[in-house]
Amino acid sequence: MVKFYSSSDTYNYPFSAVTLAYFLRYPNPYSTHVLSTDTIARHFDPVTQRLTTVRLHLKRSKLPSAVLRILPKSLLGASATGDTQAYILEKSIVDVKEGWMDTESQNLEWTGVLSVVERQSFRRPVTQAEEDLKMFQGMEGAARRHGFITFASGAQVEDNGETTDVTSTVTLHSHIGEKWKKRKAAGGVADEEHKEKTGFFKSWTTGSLQSSIELIGLKRARRSQPNAKEGMKVVLERMREGGLVAVLEGMRRDRETIVGHSTALKKRSNGDDVD
Amino acid sequence: MSASLASECNEVKEKYDNCFLRWYSESFLRGTATTDECKPLFDQYEKCLKKALKDRGIDNMIKEARDDNMENDAEHMKPRR
Repeated sequence: MVKFYSSSDTYNYPFSAVTLAYFLRYPNPYSTHVLSTDTIARHFDPVTQRLTTVRLHLKRSKLPSAVLRILPKSLLGASATGDTQAYILEKSIVDVKEGWMDTESQNLEWTGVLSVVERQSFRRPVTQAEEDLKMFQGMEGAARRHGFITFASGAQVEDNGETTDVTSTVTLHSHIGEKWKKRKAAGGVADEEHKEKTGFFKSWTTGSLQSSIELIGLKRARRSQPNAKEGMKVVLERMREGGLVAVLEGMRRDRETIVGHSTALKKRSNGDDVD
Repeated sequence: MSASLASECNEVKEKYDNCFLRWYSESFLRGTATTDECKPLFDQYEKCLKKALKDRGIDNMIKEARDDNMENDAEHMKPRR
């Protein structure tokens, strides 16, 4: 009983710019709910020229009222209005030689209630990759061609007609009400949830409950995916217009907006910290 | 730049992020990178962050998620051509 969302798109920017924008996508005007981003692991393999990155994002989220109605508050750890925070773990691998980047993001908490796994696959179109390979094999100018960016001179994106294909999928899976495999740290949670089921969820069959939650998640994914794409496009546009300097300046402004939001939120909820 | 989860790590994070951006755009993307030149800064950042994650009790949660993913990674993260 898994739900699935999938879309594909083409960015009118070269692959290397898209990968950079991916790392720089927060904050952007479409992501004011992202409170923080940390790199928790990074590995570069000089032989394959692949870069593996693990990051942790903290996002402010508002639980849909439909979920608030379904789930008991004791299970949610959210405020009465549904304000909560969610940790998202993101892993990515970039292969600059072969021209692909694969990413995978997932929620860390409440994976039993709803596990959301988002995968994105960025590809330099094949013909381009073949051309690039030839250039890598000794032709002059490869470095210049790939060096669309120069930090010192402001990192401009050359508009040379290159594109990048992207496919995104979101997989939603609810295990609620199941006695799923207990994890060491979450063992207590699993027990508690099972107990809740006998009381609060009595009137629901496990299947219908899971399905309802997955559907709510799916609707949310359908709404948020276009925004995520728009956010990437804002970052890419900034890069094209003013290079890395413009991206960083834009991030600074967006970050100020976020701080402003957080302060307003805290004031409104009258010190009811949602941590 | 994005903020760190832990404000006490912001300074070292920014240093690392700047180093990374330079290395990524000037070496990695050009295919000329031989080592991760920002490793020393990352180690400092990681030290600060590790403590912050532990203090918040999310270090184990992350470890488990990453362990669970090992097998999935083999399937989903492999190159497709």
